[in-house]
Amino acid sequence: MSSVSAFRRAAGAALVLSLSTTLIVQAAPSNKDLIKSRQDKLRDMGGALKAIDDELKKRTIDWDNVILPNADTLQSRSGFLLGWFPKGSGPESGVKTYALPALWQKGDDFTKLGKAMMAETAKLNQVAAAKDGAALKAQAFIVGKACKACHDNYRSPDYEKENDD
Amino acid sequence: MSVSEEIGERTAGGARILRIWDMPTRAMHWLLALSIAVCWWTGLHNQLEYHLYSGYAALWIVLMRLYWGVVGSSTARFVNFVRGPRAVIDYARTLHRRSTPPVHGHNALGAISVLLMLGLVLAVIGLGLFAVDVDGLYSGPMSSYVSFRAGRHLSHLHYKWFNALLAVIVLHLLAVVFYYVHKRHNLVFPMISGRRTGAADADGDLRVAPFWRFALGAVIVSGLVWMVTTGFYF
Repeated sequence: MSSVSAFRRAAGAALVLSLSTTLIVQAAPSNKDLIKSRQDKLRDMGGALKAIDDELKKRTIDWDNVILPNADTLQSRSGFLLGWFPKGSGPESGVKTYALPALWQKGDDFTKLGKAMMAETAKLNQVAAAKDGAALKAQAFIVGKACKACHDNYRSPDYEKENDD
Repeated sequence: MSVSEEIGERTAGGARILRIWDMPTRAMHWLLALSIAVCWWTGLHNQLEYHLYSGYAALWIVLMRLYWGVVGSSTARFVNFVRGPRAVIDYARTLHRRSTPPVHGHNALGAISVLLMLGLVLAVIGLGLFAVDVDGLYSGPMSSYVSFRAGRHLSHLHYKWFNALLAVIVLHLLAVVFYYVHKRHNLVFPMISGRRTGAADADGDLRVAPFWRFALGAVIVSGLVWMVTTGFYF
């Protein structure tokens, strides 16, 4: 066996190993990535609700470019929300998170609140499609309350004290 | 038109009763203290609907106090009590002495406290106006001019700067205690009654600004605060 072919074999093995490692990492994201990802997604949801609220203050509402896409973001994201909090992704993971252990201890209640969020964002989309400003304002408020219901019980109050950038 | 009032009431012991703070200044002082307390409690307990109302009240009071500091009664006017660094240092050098005559109005050091407190209250309210409620229910009225992320950052600064304000308030309260214990000057009672007792030969008067001037300011400031509450969306 020549030294060149030995090198090729070694390089090939290294490539396979590195690719498989990458795949494994992608298949099982670390808690750090998971928590960062859910924080980003929840922030996007907050941004989407804010965009709707802000638009509703204007005299002319841009339904097609602002209201509908943001209402859709809220509904589609809330469909995945309950999956963002697997067991082990709380403060015990060692990663900085404001999610309280109560979220996992009272899993049934959290699931109920998550499902309520899905229902309310679905309604938000229906109202947005009807292009009724007053009804949308009322429903956006209800969606905000659905956010708050979880935040009040399952998010640390320290959240307000620290910079969540 | 301001009315100059010579105060010549005498107590049985020969000491004179001097008018020091007019009614609007006293009312604004205590109402500001109350509104800040309400802001604090509602902020801590996430009662943001009432936090907004108490914040608007504090904004109204601070703006009125600034206005009164320009056109109000003599002891409320900035020009009559804000002094330069030399006067502040000179006054600070007399702090340790027990028998200094009371200053009729804010002293040079207290003036800094007044400016610092009004400035901080205004800064905290200013940040709050742009702050974003994470649930989108009770964001500041001007929050639509900033992004969600920027607004959350401003909420954080709103919280942080309030702590700086609390520190100045604590200093203010400690100073009041210091004056009472060390110099035997009761600063609280005059802020309630508007009067203080001076020596028989003590001088000090209060030129009381007419009420219409306060009413005019109240109308202008109310209009301004109302505009702010709408976020300038008319």
